[in-house]
Amino acid sequence: MRFAVCVKHAVDESELKIDSSGKPQLEGALARMGTFDKNAVEEALRLRTALGGEVVAITVGKAEARKSLKEALAMGADRGVHVLADPGTLDPSRTSELLAAAITRTGPFDLVICSEGSSDTYTGLVPPMLAERLGIPYIGYVRKLEVAAQTVRAERSLEESLESVESSLPSAVSVVSEINEPRYPTLIQIMQASKKPVEELTRQQLGVGDVQASVRIVSMTAQAMNRKRVVFEGSPDEAASKLVDAFASEGVIPK
Amino acid sequence: MSEVWAFSESVGVANETVSAAKEAAVACSGQAVVVEVGRVRSSVSSPGKKLVLLGPGLTDESPEMAAEALYLAAKEAKPAVIFVGATRNGKEVASRLAVKLGNGCLPDLSKVSADREMLVGERSEYAGKVMTKLSCPFPCVAAIKVGAYPAFSGSGGVVLEKEVGTVARSSKIVALTKKEASTVDLRAAKVIVSAGRGVKKKEDLEMVGALAKALGGALGCSRPLASDLGWLPEECHIGLTGVNVKPELYLAVGISGQLQHVAGIKDSKLIAAINTDKDAPIFQAADYGIVGDLYQVVPAIQKVLTSRHR
Repeated sequence: MRFAVCVKHAVDESELKIDSSGKPQLEGALARMGTFDKNAVEEALRLRTALGGEVVAITVGKAEARKSLKEALAMGADRGVHVLADPGTLDPSRTSELLAAAITRTGPFDLVICSEGSSDTYTGLVPPMLAERLGIPYIGYVRKLEVAAQTVRAERSLEESLESVESSLPSAVSVVSEINEPRYPTLIQIMQASKKPVEELTRQQLGVGDVQASVRIVSMTAQAMNRKRVVFEGSPDEAASKLVDAFASEGVIPK
Repeated sequence: MSEVWAFSESVGVANETVSAAKEAAVACSGQAVVVEVGRVRSSVSSPGKKLVLLGPGLTDESPEMAAEALYLAAKEAKPAVIFVGATRNGKEVASRLAVKLGNGCLPDLSKVSADREMLVGERSEYAGKVMTKLSCPFPCVAAIKVGAYPAFSGSGGVVLEKEVGTVARSSKIVALTKKEASTVDLRAAKVIVSAGRGVKKKEDLEMVGALAKALGGALGCSRPLASDLGWLPEECHIGLTGVNVKPELYLAVGISGQLQHVAGIKDSKLIAAINTDKDAPIFQAADYGIVGDLYQVVPAIQKVLTSRHR
């Protein structure tokens, strides 16, 4: 079976710096494969172990995005596909268009696996958009996945319920992070990842038109954390007493 | 006058989405229209017109079907914006619909505004560090973050039924299990006491749960307790990928305060924390803190509450 797994070269939100004017410094910020994308890669590898076949990691991004593909290759993906694009020109709609074209070109795939969202912007729109463009069944927010010769059966984690869903292959899924525990690559695997094949593709090669993204960023501002940050000292009893007093005077518990 | 549509398969979220649609409709001099797929729910309030899309076997429990039905109706009616409540299914509806219509899609907006040409919306990104303002020209699709808008209430108006014909579905639901707890319970809770990795054993959750009860609140947890340890159901997981909450009081017990956890609690009115590590990031996100062992502090708080109730 052939598995495509989509990953994003995402800015590490914990390392993102805010400048003195309150603007996030995205230029040059540390980036790596999205946190939840690791679960998507892990699931693809797990399925390859069970069913045999090939795992192809696909990303859309600038030259540096190659690093995230390497992370997926180090985890165990067989090869990579890198669609070169400036993230500044992309919105979920454009990204899904490029991914769909790359998947069609390097396919056929039995299963396309994405994470529920990227850890940076976390829109969660790309996976269903991708399935819609590919015209294949889609099962989102999967926490358990079983793939047979021609079908996929998945348990979806929704707000109020768990939903078992069945569809035929090829299908696309998005997985939630509780589905598995991503493996850490060994040093040898990390070194070997550089030798695995990565195909670079451009928008032109994929025959995707030069359309401007309809979603534009108007502004980005740091969200201030205006909290009191009062720490109560003393013995547990004294501190507890002060805390309960504070709750009462703030009106969040009855006086 | 252009229409601004609002849809959600969840009644509670539908009423919130209607509030967002009303606000945008005023800003762009349009008319807010509530759209229902496959059924009419009297519990979904309507500020004016309600459009009910019907077809053989059409149900809003399938995001695929809902998206196709909305697409077929929107192709004719040409609404300026279609707002979809950003539940997990709702995000799929919004994504599919945007692709079908060839329009842009704004994700998880917590605030919307508009002029005559475009929709502008704000959303939290980078695990809550950044507020990003996005714009998209009409016509477009926008998902409204769950809990961001108050539920609209009001009744009356006209109900229009529209046949959209047969809509296909490529996956089928073979089983449905109600979750033990509901995320709605946490979203509605005025007080939440939440447990993290500082809690050493599953049995000790009882102590934290008892405190939640004494404060008249609900018990939540950080991601590892639900996803990795499975001590509490996933519905109790508060954070970016779990439930986003905004209670009057959020008390974090033994939670270090990773960005992704804080992203889910930052709209709380008051945040308090108990942690042994004085440098834990949760204290940066908290109004009140106690640096100490939760095994001593939690019973101490419990004792204070009991003595004051006498």
